[in-house]
Amino acid sequence: MAISFTLNGKSQSVDVSPDMPLLWVLRDTLNMTGTKFGCGMALCGACTVHINGEATRSCITPISSVAGKKVTTIEGLSAAGSHPVQRAGLEEDVPQCGYCQSGQIMSAVALLSKKPNPTDADIDDAMSGNICRCGTYQRIRKAIHRAASMAGKAHSAA
Amino acid sequence: MLGLVSLSSNVTRRNFLKTSAGAGAGLVLPFHLSAKRFAHATSGSSASNSFSPSAWLELSTTGDLKIWCGKSEMGQGVFTALPMIVAEELSCDWRRVQVVQADLDEKFGDQLTGGSGSVRTSYDSLRKAGAAARELLLGAASARWHVARSECHAENGFIVHTATQRKLTYEQLLDAASALQPQANPGLKIPSEFVLVGKPTRRTDTKLKITGAAKFGLDTRLPGMLIASVERSPVYGGTPLGFNADEVKSAPHVRDVFELESAHLTHQFGETSGPGSRNYSCAGVAVVADSTWAAMQARKLLKVEWNEPPSASESTLSIRERMHHNASEPGTVIRSDGDFDKAYAAAAKKIEAVYELPFLAHATMEPGNCTAHFHDGSCELWAPTQIPGAAAESVASALGIPRERVKVHVTFIGGGFGRRLIQDYAVEAALISRDAGAPVQVVWSREDDLRHDFYRPAACHILQAGLDEQGRLSSWRHRGSSPSIETFYNGTGISPGAAAQVDSLDFPALFIPNFRLEFSVAECGMPLGYWRSVDASGNQFVLSSFFDEAAQAAGRDAVEFLLAAFGPARKIPVGNGETLDVGRRRKVVELAAEKSAWHKSLTAGRGRGIAVAFGWGSYVAQVAEVTWDAKNGNLRIDRVVCAVDCGTAINPLGVQAQMEGAINFGLAQALKSAVTISAGRVEQRNFNDYEVLRLSDAPPVIEVYIVPSRERPGGCGEVGVPAAAPAVANATFAATGKRIRRLPIRAADLLSG
Repeated sequence: MAISFTLNGKSQSVDVSPDMPLLWVLRDTLNMTGTKFGCGMALCGACTVHINGEATRSCITPISSVAGKKVTTIEGLSAAGSHPVQRAGLEEDVPQCGYCQSGQIMSAVALLSKKPNPTDADIDDAMSGNICRCGTYQRIRKAIHRAASMAGKAHSAA
Repeated sequence: MLGLVSLSSNVTRRNFLKTSAGAGAGLVLPFHLSAKRFAHATSGSSASNSFSPSAWLELSTTGDLKIWCGKSEMGQGVFTALPMIVAEELSCDWRRVQVVQADLDEKFGDQLTGGSGSVRTSYDSLRKAGAAARELLLGAASARWHVARSECHAENGFIVHTATQRKLTYEQLLDAASALQPQANPGLKIPSEFVLVGKPTRRTDTKLKITGAAKFGLDTRLPGMLIASVERSPVYGGTPLGFNADEVKSAPHVRDVFELESAHLTHQFGETSGPGSRNYSCAGVAVVADSTWAAMQARKLLKVEWNEPPSASESTLSIRERMHHNASEPGTVIRSDGDFDKAYAAAAKKIEAVYELPFLAHATMEPGNCTAHFHDGSCELWAPTQIPGAAAESVASALGIPRERVKVHVTFIGGGFGRRLIQDYAVEAALISRDAGAPVQVVWSREDDLRHDFYRPAACHILQAGLDEQGRLSSWRHRGSSPSIETFYNGTGISPGAAAQVDSLDFPALFIPNFRLEFSVAECGMPLGYWRSVDASGNQFVLSSFFDEAAQAAGRDAVEFLLAAFGPARKIPVGNGETLDVGRRRKVVELAAEKSAWHKSLTAGRGRGIAVAFGWGSYVAQVAEVTWDAKNGNLRIDRVVCAVDCGTAINPLGVQAQMEGAINFGLAQALKSAVTISAGRVEQRNFNDYEVLRLSDAPPVIEVYIVPSRERPGGCGEVGVPAAAPAVANATFAATGKRIRRLPIRAADLLSG
């Protein structure tokens, strides 16, 4: 049975088992490997995407539940890494191995969409579901603050 | 065997990987120079349009400059630091450099990535490669201008005639330079001439990693590729007796279900895995399907009857009892200075403690995987591996084919920490590809990753120390016991000294007149491996904490006590032509104390602690500040201040990142992680029960201070780990009065009573 949804702004239709998690539809069916597999139990955040703008762990999201919705992955976040969170990540030299970064960025973007000027406590709450074993946490926090201020300047300039 | 590092007979693997001996004499440093132009398939240009005097770089007439990275990038920053070394001597425009990952090829020399050795072992050869190319360009320009070579200099991608400021771009000189013969020992810059090395430089791979474009091993996609999910023996060393193959084969999208035999892995460092060695990949049952989900789901239907080895009777408790028993008795003497027994008996004050450490898992974010295509007697691998040569060796051995018929593509690695030194995932993929008759990607689940790791060994340490009337340490005896990594990989025929998991040069060795270090191997069935900083990861917790106990017993300030024990700056010979530089040790302690305002008092419930780690050619001191919130039973790490002397820092931004990351890695050990064993099997399943550090646990601030130095580069990958846990433990004591002697720190250890 075909399941249709919007992926990074384009219509997408897949014919897979309805219980297949969105993560594997993305990585295997559609060969979009930017979204990562880390635990399969929504404990590590590596698989984070946006569904209708909400940060969601795709590893436990059955594809059937995505029907008719808007999915955004790291690949669709911006043209060539231009989102403020990505630019801040570049400026702060955040990634090390980089495996967790797609999920970190998607979670951070979702946070900023709700709280454009997050406090450190807000960042703790929103980001503690995203594990980084290389230990870039201090830079992730700094990059989020930086992105918030970049986006703030953009708004005030507009 | 090409690519092997040759070791002098007295230098154990541990000492090589940890001491500065690894940077100098006895190394094979292949530096491949050829006047031939290498035709690179990717460049798409004919030989006359490119200049490639060695494997390391290729410059084309379009101005594109490629520099190859000969080590595996796992976050530690070699993809940036190593090309910087080439680019510095080449004197090119760094902004135009495109870094290319080297696949396994002997022209790149030793591609082993580990032991914090990449910069140390590549520094000289990469400098020569860049310099040789630069000299060819200088030769070509000076010939064209009919001037002496000495009248010209290279700068930012131009050759300049210094007096007249005439310029030629490197692209304009390619043809002429390609016709010249490179020098084997070109002149190198002096450090004061460096324009790139030593400057804070952003990573070259960030854009790929923040856009999701970076390809890790798990992202490999090949036409016709199948996925394998493997049910492995729950107890290491077990084998499947029987399983419901037909039922699982009938599950959706399943192609095949078959037994996967265990393979004796070749030694990852090229040493000999002698009799009694236990480095085997796990036996199990492979489920091969069209997609990852199908393979994982079908595997849930598997019912396997296992033949379990004797270690199925082991548990955390049984192993702990064995280690404690061993450490309570005399062990193999690793070091003995003076007369401990006599001095201890005469001590004015005595202290004694038992320290314990659990097994730890690597828990890399990218779970284990490898993609292999075996066909026509050859095998091609796409592997997130730290040692592509070992992957080829192990796969060749497992398949019974010549090593030359194994090709290895090195991918980005989503976290190494030593796990990717073991080539079990590569052998699995190769064997399954052979049996499935197709390209196969073996995907490890997180549960597989945690249950079938090669663990940091658990340990028990019993220490005694005596202070004299002046409050100085006069005697120190350390008895350690743990399973032995060396025995696991090299076999039971090695000497007890070689099997020891303690280092005869670890501080405070050489600084206490009556010093005794003993070790006794505690065998168990667990598979063992190298966890970032290896023995030091647990040993430094013990040493820096017990040293702090001695300071406390002496009624002396911990920093003052450390510096007094070091004595004045000087160099102490330690054999093999090596010296121990006391001045560099003192410097990092003084710097960490200064930057943390060590002597400034803190309010009640807060404390500071200091710890050190010296090894891999580098020196680290860390001060942690904690707050113990007794009301809520919450220990908070407020700040960690790290002073590091790593000799010449190729990229200070990279060094800073490595220290921050290593500290967070060490804090996970301090606060969160433990592997426990029941019935010979690991109990942990996923991140719910194997906890690691999360953003909310991490200190908001880590400050890193790099000692300016022109000494030879030291390693930065691991040296930041060992001091983190003891710095926190010592700070916790200062804040609570409770001494921490086992990890992870539990709230129960700190609550009154």
